[in-house]
Amino acid sequence: MSELPQRQTDIGPPHYEKFLHPVIKKNYGKWKYHEILTPGSMVHVSETGDKIYTIRVASPRLLSTNTIREMADIATKHCGGYLRFTTRNNVEFFVDEEGKIAPLIKELQDKGYMVGGIGPRISNVVHTQGWIHCHSAATDASGLVKAIMDDLSEYFTTKELANRVRIAVACCVNMCGAVHCSDIALVGVHKTPPRIDDENVKNFCEVPSTIASCPTSAISPDPSKKSVKIKLEKCMYCGNCYSVCPAMPISDPDNDGVAIVVGGKVANLRSAPTFSKLAVPWLPNNPPRWPEVTDAVKKILNAYIAGAKKHERVGEWIGRIGWEKFFQETALPFTIQHVDDFTFARETFRTTAAFKWT
Amino acid sequence: MSKKYATPLLDELKKGAFPSFVKEMEMAAERSDMAADLLGLVELSYKEKVTHWKHGGIVGVRGYGGGVIGRYSDIPDKFPGVAHFHTVRVNSPSGFYYTSDAIKEICDIWDKYGSGLTNVHGSTGDLVLLGTRTESLEPIFAELSSRGWDLGGSGSAMRTPSCCVGKSRCEWANIDSMAITNDITHHFQDEMHRPAFPYKFKFKVAGCAVDCIASIARADMSIIGTWKGDIRIDQTEVKNCETKGMNIQTEVIDMCPTGCMQWDGKQLKIDNSNCNRCMNCIARMPKALRPGTEQGATLLLGSKAPIVTGALMSWVIVPFIKMEPPYEEFYELVGKIWEWWDENGKNRERIGELIERLSFPRFLKEVGLEPVAAMVKEPRRDPFFFWSEEDIIKK
Amino acid sequence: MDKEQLKKIIYELVEASTGKKKLKQSDILKKVAADQGLEKDEVKAALRELVDAGTLIFTYFGGSFIEIPPKQ
Repeated sequence: MSELPQRQTDIGPPHYEKFLHPVIKKNYGKWKYHEILTPGSMVHVSETGDKIYTIRVASPRLLSTNTIREMADIATKHCGGYLRFTTRNNVEFFVDEEGKIAPLIKELQDKGYMVGGIGPRISNVVHTQGWIHCHSAATDASGLVKAIMDDLSEYFTTKELANRVRIAVACCVNMCGAVHCSDIALVGVHKTPPRIDDENVKNFCEVPSTIASCPTSAISPDPSKKSVKIKLEKCMYCGNCYSVCPAMPISDPDNDGVAIVVGGKVANLRSAPTFSKLAVPWLPNNPPRWPEVTDAVKKILNAYIAGAKKHERVGEWIGRIGWEKFFQETALPFTIQHVDDFTFARETFRTTAAFKWT
Repeated sequence: MSKKYATPLLDELKKGAFPSFVKEMEMAAERSDMAADLLGLVELSYKEKVTHWKHGGIVGVRGYGGGVIGRYSDIPDKFPGVAHFHTVRVNSPSGFYYTSDAIKEICDIWDKYGSGLTNVHGSTGDLVLLGTRTESLEPIFAELSSRGWDLGGSGSAMRTPSCCVGKSRCEWANIDSMAITNDITHHFQDEMHRPAFPYKFKFKVAGCAVDCIASIARADMSIIGTWKGDIRIDQTEVKNCETKGMNIQTEVIDMCPTGCMQWDGKQLKIDNSNCNRCMNCIARMPKALRPGTEQGATLLLGSKAPIVTGALMSWVIVPFIKMEPPYEEFYELVGKIWEWWDENGKNRERIGELIERLSFPRFLKEVGLEPVAAMVKEPRRDPFFFWSEEDIIKK
Repeated sequence: MDKEQLKKIIYELVEASTGKKKLKQSDILKKVAADQGLEKDEVKAALRELVDAGTLIFTYFGGSFIEIPPKQ
């Protein structure tokens, strides 16, 4: 290791321009329109008449260097050595002639890649680290994604929906990755308060910042032990104290589980961006395939398929039929947990006598 | 190489149509003891239904306060390969474009010093190298930075800004989101690498209101491209949409949230003064309709996930700003906002939460922004408002 | 003010705070600038030299702080 090159600091990322396909570089800012050709391909047409074809495949986000090298080799062979990744962890390959699409897709499919995800479909699932790398995970993320997408893969590769359905998975309520504005999102939740290890609180934690971390003021000092105590009835199991103080572990294998929230979106099309709302408060962690969770997701998706008008997102469909109807159509139980008692609670109460019988 | 551990639960996830993360771990495990032990550790998590990772410790590269996330297994004796399993965040290029050679070069470095596992990309947008030991961090940084790559943000710092494809491959981009992202990233290298804020700060740049980067939901400052003036219409292409089977009345006219469009079977009319630029009609008819030509951005502030007092979406603070180099007006405003946050924010308090705590009117006054109706969905419902000394009539 | 002297003041502030309250970079800049009648940028430049030399380090625990590195 003595032959290390000279390190540099604050150089920032390399300029994107050197990674752009020549057709993309030449037509930068000149694109006129695009068309979706198949579930896995689209063409962008420039004012110059140039065309760039994009072919999209799914990735599990957790990639070995083997797979990245394989993708790079495919890009070298078919695409002049250019590729990109999408925000949703899809991989995109580019070709500049329509005739180059078929051989590229053939090679991708022969190597086991799932081609699709463009248009009114289920695109790749945005997700977090889960048990693979996170200290605060209440569930795994990659496994949930795999289980769901194995079941719903045809909505990625072929079948059309009323509009795009964005699915996301967060392994705890920290929600790394915009889960709170997705059509259907799964979030790992705890159901029991953290346990206090007084000796370690004393040694490793700053008591004032631990107290300050609690959104419901459930934590107070315990001077006799130089530790903290929790008012259990105030704790809503967010785990924020555990992020600040490692001596307050909250994970609980029997009670940690998965909540499902639905109806969120970020795009402004037709209606304003919206938060996802609670559909299912808790389902058990049942790895490796989480059958209770995948069943609930399919119930929601099937009700959407049955009820949505063309171009309606999940939240727009629910907005039209009403939430009371949503619970009826999906046959999901409405529980005391669905009634908000947190920061914005009163905004959610029904202040009208007009609602539907269910 | 034979498998180090039996992983019956994970093996189940090698089946099925969707690409398998377990296969990825197995491929890496062929070469890396770290990845092999990761498989064993994750299998145990699947069995016990609990994570086996501990909080980060004090790890990083010299001089930086971010870019590396410390991670340790809580059962290092059982799985020594993942006793240390730190993450290195590599600042991705704008738009997540790579050449085969460039991304392979990163793979070479990573195979030499790490587990061979990555996330391309993490949620914030860094190219995440997943799993290495403390003593490898400096060598990795030297190898990366000498080849033109730098680390991204972590901790109470500016996080790696990210964006949509923008003008590189989208006709709807009203701003050059990739150029802006690249400029912000280079402009604020110190703010990214040496955490000085109350908490994290994220920029996300979207070329239009479709917001493919989800900036409105997960960026402390969301920069969303928009336009003034008229939507450009190609009437022949409008007609072609109908010929190809689109029901213009139900799919476009009836779905316009402001009811500002009319279609008589020949001519599409838009009352642009009532358009709120939601992008629906343009997205339905990409060949026929295009955004107007006076282009810029709306700046929105404050979004975050629900920890701790509930999720926030970004809200409008500047309805329209030209986002062109050298972005002087923009950087001046960002400087004022950060100064106000530094002056008033508590540890772990995001800018959106601070504005909620101290009030939006106070933020506007102290940062020097004029209130305009575009900033709110509706005016206040209560009569409890403040007046300043100069508003009071004196005898 | 002489930079070395400023660095000493910063180090002593962090040292005195160790085990009591973790300091953020911003806490140090505000306090030292106010106490010594300096611009924050000047304090920041001195702090950066301390961090570049490894005399002080950034740490993270529910927020980023400046601390004295642990003895190996």
